[in-house]
Amino acid sequence: MLFVGSAQTGVWPRLLAAFAYCLPLVFIVAPLLSFLSYSFFSMENGQIIHDLSLLNYKRFFTDAIFLPVLWQTCLLCLAVATLSTMLGFPVAFLLANLKGRRRYILLLMVLVPLLMSYIIKIYAIRSILGGNGFLNRFLLWTGLIAEPLSLFVFNLNAVLLTLTVLLIPFAILPIFLSLERIPRSLIEASSDLGASGMQTFIRIVLPLSLPGIVTSATFVFVLAIGDFLTPQMVGGQSGFTFGRIVYSQFGTAFNWPFGSALSAILAIVVISVIAAGNWLEFRRR
Amino acid sequence: MMRLSNLAIGILSAITAVVFLLLYGPLFIPIISSFFSISHGGVQWNDPSLSSYSALLENQGILKAVGNTLIVGFSATLLSLVSGTLLALHYCGGKSLAREAMQFAVFLPFLMPPIITGLSLLIFFREVGIPRSLLTVIVGHTVFVQTLAYRVIVVRLQSMGPSMIEASIDLGASATQTFIHIILPNLRSTLIGAGVLSFALSFDETLITLLVTGTDSTLPIRLWAMMRLGFTPDINALVAIILALTVLLCLLAVHQLLPAEVNPDE
Repeated sequence: MLFVGSAQTGVWPRLLAAFAYCLPLVFIVAPLLSFLSYSFFSMENGQIIHDLSLLNYKRFFTDAIFLPVLWQTCLLCLAVATLSTMLGFPVAFLLANLKGRRRYILLLMVLVPLLMSYIIKIYAIRSILGGNGFLNRFLLWTGLIAEPLSLFVFNLNAVLLTLTVLLIPFAILPIFLSLERIPRSLIEASSDLGASGMQTFIRIVLPLSLPGIVTSATFVFVLAIGDFLTPQMVGGQSGFTFGRIVYSQFGTAFNWPFGSALSAILAIVVISVIAAGNWLEFRRR
Repeated sequence: MMRLSNLAIGILSAITAVVFLLLYGPLFIPIISSFFSISHGGVQWNDPSLSSYSALLENQGILKAVGNTLIVGFSATLLSLVSGTLLALHYCGGKSLAREAMQFAVFLPFLMPPIITGLSLLIFFREVGIPRSLLTVIVGHTVFVQTLAYRVIVVRLQSMGPSMIEASIDLGASATQTFIHIILPNLRSTLIGAGVLSFALSFDETLITLLVTGTDSTLPIRLWAMMRLGFTPDINALVAIILALTVLLCLLAVHQLLPAEVNPDE
């Protein structure tokens, strides 16, 4: 666009093109390739052996620990995605129905937590969880419960709860955008033809907002499955997730090649989920 | 959008209130407890004091981490704006498969889980022989943050349309002159908005940083280390200050980037 006519053959466009292709190649594609190649290396006596083999992948499928943890993590993230979407839809729907200043303020309130420090949000939620955390003590104080609930101690439930709270804003926005895109004329036509509010919602609004719901769910799932901080902070001993295992390979376990193979498997799961989401969206059109 | 009954509005508002309680409620606990003294491992609710704030000022590790975070944040923001603009200019220069491939590569760090971006860079730096330092953290942040800057700038360039640039070239301006006098002024508010947003993203980035950082830690990493060790009084004060700053940054960024139709002030 910048270079029309004679300027197209000058030096600048070539420099710009060189930069535009080299930068992603060096800092994005090359690291990804080196990570992929590492997943075929192996470890021996604390040294990385640069010989290609499928040993890491074989270990993943034969060892009895890894597949069940991956499956459990997928279920957990699915639950997080479902919960966030179900809680996010009413908020998005209300947001789409508001006008003027109220809508602006509500939208801002949805956006602000997105930019708040992730680690601080986890810390804040962590301080209300736990056996004698704020939530349990508050419920005891009000007399609603007689003994501390085990629901809020550090385990997979706590991870589920924390991830849901962290990711709700990501679920609200795509649904809100898809609701915004529904033509007003369709809704007017529906009510002109005598449909009740409920009928219009179920027959018109809900089907047309499905692409947004699917995007939200995939978005939340992908963000949840890649997270290793939340399970580490609120998962305790039992809240083991796949992301945590991957991270431990780069820390305490110090097995980069195996960690790379596990991440490659994580990437495959993520890509499949995104592809499935796209397929669901396009099939409906 | 549609006419809702009072009952429907009531139910929706109730659910929305619960969601906002979940989103914001937990944040108030560290903020409130930061104004009380802490002893015997618990908050002394009957003893309001600013002792956690003075403890914070004496914590050299945190002050150094704040400095590191600012260095990384400003560098990553500047680099992202420059590379984002250049990448966007190239992408908008025509239509080709190579351009689409470039755009896809630029989007990858945002699409993939951060742990994959982080450890790709970690392995890459090791293979190339670059030791982990603040520099590798800056690269990690830039790769991640530039996606957003790039996207925002592409949208702006596309909405500008080619006519102004064509007119400038027709009237005899060089590509450099056109860039400085036509494109840059038109990108001004976009660049400011993208810059604030980039800085906010970099400020909070934890997952990638954790993998590519060396001995110099940024604020989120420092916080993560402090929280793992347990409860210290200065955490709450730090959390309160950071939250106040982020809210301020967010309001600035949103104000710059939200389209005028949603923004009642314009």
